[in-house]
Amino acid sequence: MIHAERRKSMAERRPSTLNRSSSSAERMGTVVPHLAGIEDPLPDSTPEKVDVVLVGTGLVESILAAALSWQGSSVLQIDSNSYYGDSSATLTIDQLKQWVEDINKNDSKCYENAKLHISGLIGRGSYKSRDFGIDLSPKILFAKSDLLSILLKSRVHQYLEFQSLSSFHTYENDSFERLTNTKQEIFTNPSLPLMTKRNLMKFIKFVLDWSNQPEVWEAYKDKPVASFLVEKFKLERAQVYELIFSIGLCYNIDIKTPEALQRIRRYLTSFDVYGPFPVLYSKYGGPGELSQGFCRSAAVAGATYKLNETMVSYNPDSRIAVFGDASKVSVTEKVVIAPTQSPENSKNVPEQKYEVQRLTCVVDKACIEWFGEGEHAAVVVFPPNSLKSGNRQAVQALIMGAGSDVCPTGTSVWYLSSTETGIRGEMDLDAALGALEESILRESSADLENDDGILEVDNSGHMTLNSVKLGQSFQENAQREKLQVLVKLYFKQFTSTPPFEVVNPSIFDVSAMTNGKLVPGASDNGVLYTPLPSAEISYDEAITAARMLFQKIVGSDDDFFDLDFEDDEENEQINESAVIDDDDAEKMNMTLDAEMSVEPVEFAGEMEI
Amino acid sequence: MNSPVTSIKLVLLGEAAVGKSSIVLRFVSNDFAENKEPTIGAAFLTQRVNMGDHTIKFEIWDTAGQERFASLAPMYYRNAQAALVVYDVTKPQSFIKARHWVKELHEQASKDIVIALVGNKLDMIESGAERKVAREEAENLAQQEGLLFFETSAKTGSNVNEVFLGIGQKIPLKTAQNQTQGAGRGSSGLRINDDSRVDLRSSGDQSASGSTCNC
Repeated sequence: MIHAERRKSMAERRPSTLNRSSSSAERMGTVVPHLAGIEDPLPDSTPEKVDVVLVGTGLVESILAAALSWQGSSVLQIDSNSYYGDSSATLTIDQLKQWVEDINKNDSKCYENAKLHISGLIGRGSYKSRDFGIDLSPKILFAKSDLLSILLKSRVHQYLEFQSLSSFHTYENDSFERLTNTKQEIFTNPSLPLMTKRNLMKFIKFVLDWSNQPEVWEAYKDKPVASFLVEKFKLERAQVYELIFSIGLCYNIDIKTPEALQRIRRYLTSFDVYGPFPVLYSKYGGPGELSQGFCRSAAVAGATYKLNETMVSYNPDSRIAVFGDASKVSVTEKVVIAPTQSPENSKNVPEQKYEVQRLTCVVDKACIEWFGEGEHAAVVVFPPNSLKSGNRQAVQALIMGAGSDVCPTGTSVWYLSSTETGIRGEMDLDAALGALEESILRESSADLENDDGILEVDNSGHMTLNSVKLGQSFQENAQREKLQVLVKLYFKQFTSTPPFEVVNPSIFDVSAMTNGKLVPGASDNGVLYTPLPSAEISYDEAITAARMLFQKIVGSDDDFFDLDFEDDEENEQINESAVIDDDDAEKMNMTLDAEMSVEPVEFAGEMEI
Repeated sequence: MNSPVTSIKLVLLGEAAVGKSSIVLRFVSNDFAENKEPTIGAAFLTQRVNMGDHTIKFEIWDTAGQERFASLAPMYYRNAQAALVVYDVTKPQSFIKARHWVKELHEQASKDIVIALVGNKLDMIESGAERKVAREEAENLAQQEGLLFFETSAKTGSNVNEVFLGIGQKIPLKTAQNQTQGAGRGSSGLRINDDSRVDLRSSGDQSASGSTCNC
């Protein structure tokens, strides 16, 4: 603990709050007044003294910057790049080129083996570098999650646009199965035997409230969830795979029961919060956009921002940080550094021992075949052993269409990732890419057969073949047979966060004086290092990590986004539904009950759950 | 009020201390504006203005100081339909900077963005300070680049409302109404599909309303 006492928050220290009645502040918690952020003219130079220096503008650092700034700490946040986002940036094609060059040249400990192919159509040809926004670590946002409630509380959501994603596909036997992800679909799916439906419903009812029923799963605490699902709920392989890999979005079959149940519940409770879909994503780019939003929020609360700036050294005795332009700042509390931007002589950077492999492609196909109605994105999961490479781990793919504004019309971005290590990982990703390619070519050539321009009905009612159109179609089809890849990026990223775990709090202890001793000559004693993004496809790790760091710095997490903004009339309707509450299970059950009555014949007398 | 309301994102640009925030504060706290209480939340300032048969709701994005070290994010420019480029009539350096911001807007922002060039601190000249940026020079720049041009004093309030009214009149109603002409990604002007946008404030789950979140 650094501080025993809770420090005064931003709002409490702000002059405009001083003459307000204190009773409202007590009642409402921290009320941030109207003029937050524009009361004082800002100096044209960096401050001489700050509470916290943050190096890197990745998502975790940016959330932390906003939390600290609104809490009342003075913050200086820098980034060595010319853009926001660091390891979670959304990049244009030119920035991506530079990024690949940099990490290969600098022998980065955080990345390895980056390979980039860019088609001549970009830059000189049909597309501009800025038509694309490529995420280095794409993420999806569950409708019921910590991050979502923080986005609302901080008002950062007002800087962003969100779209829904309901389309989850599982790849098996060389084809895509769309996930039966609604209760309704489970009931109406003709391919599911009655017994299976019943078992599945029984499991869904259980999993919504699983943590309160340890008696059911206690014996399976350290066992893979697959055995639990098969033995306890008599589920069959197809359902087990769907639950673990598509709904739970797990990477391998060995995942332990409690972790998997938590992940399955996450999906189910997120469903129907905003509509018939479990997840959202931000338009124009994922974590890179969110980083910008949180940085702006921090700036409004008074944080200072400087891009194109590096930290050269930090002296833990004098508490002076020195930057690339020779400027200095005196740090009263902490220095927090992203491992990607640590000063050269750092000795205590946590070991990044877990591997994430990513293959990102931009292709000249819209891929709307895979999206839900009115949607612009999809998730495709390749469970273990579904690929020609004989993959041991699942490969996850996030497909983003032009409607999400990350690429031009007629193209889409395919983000593939795996936790498989070494050459096997690369082989798995290539196999998954091949499977996606085959599938989209097959599906879009199916359009050809349905092309009613080819068959025409003449005056007498006879069908005639329009040979000109048919000829054209064949020609187009021949051209279409190979997918044009506009961008192909492969790289290996390392992280200190193990797969399935959100973040290991012990990494925040490493630099804080192991054994109470300073390492002689090391510049990074007393420095906190943030975790790099893990393989996790959701944002769940980011808030947890930011909150842990916040607690390390401030001494308590009581003030972590403890905000209540005075705002305009439209915001009065805000509710806190994104916060996970205990009524969820009950509500879901009610929905289940209501839907069961829709199918009275099939379930008459059967549903004793 | 039943007149149609169109939201316009307006961004502020200009060298530090030229009075960007003061102009906006003057505008949003003015009697002339419809609601007297300005709303400046965590995200941006909003102010409604009656424009005859319709109402414009300005969503005004302050730089929040992020321009000081050339650290404005792409998010700042995205889908902005209007911009104020502000300089100080007594500081030539700030006018050079204004040229830079106009160029930046042409590169980063939507093609049909309405830009107003604003020479602020006119009151200082009236109180004896030397004018360092000639009106003609600024008018020339405005003409070349197709900008609206005003000289204002945020201190006295002189000409401030006219800036926003001028912008309101120049924003094509069509654009403001259907709001499909965002900057998109880059200059290709990709269409924003409002139908697919999810409003995070409007979850169907109302049960928790009124409770305070402790997370």
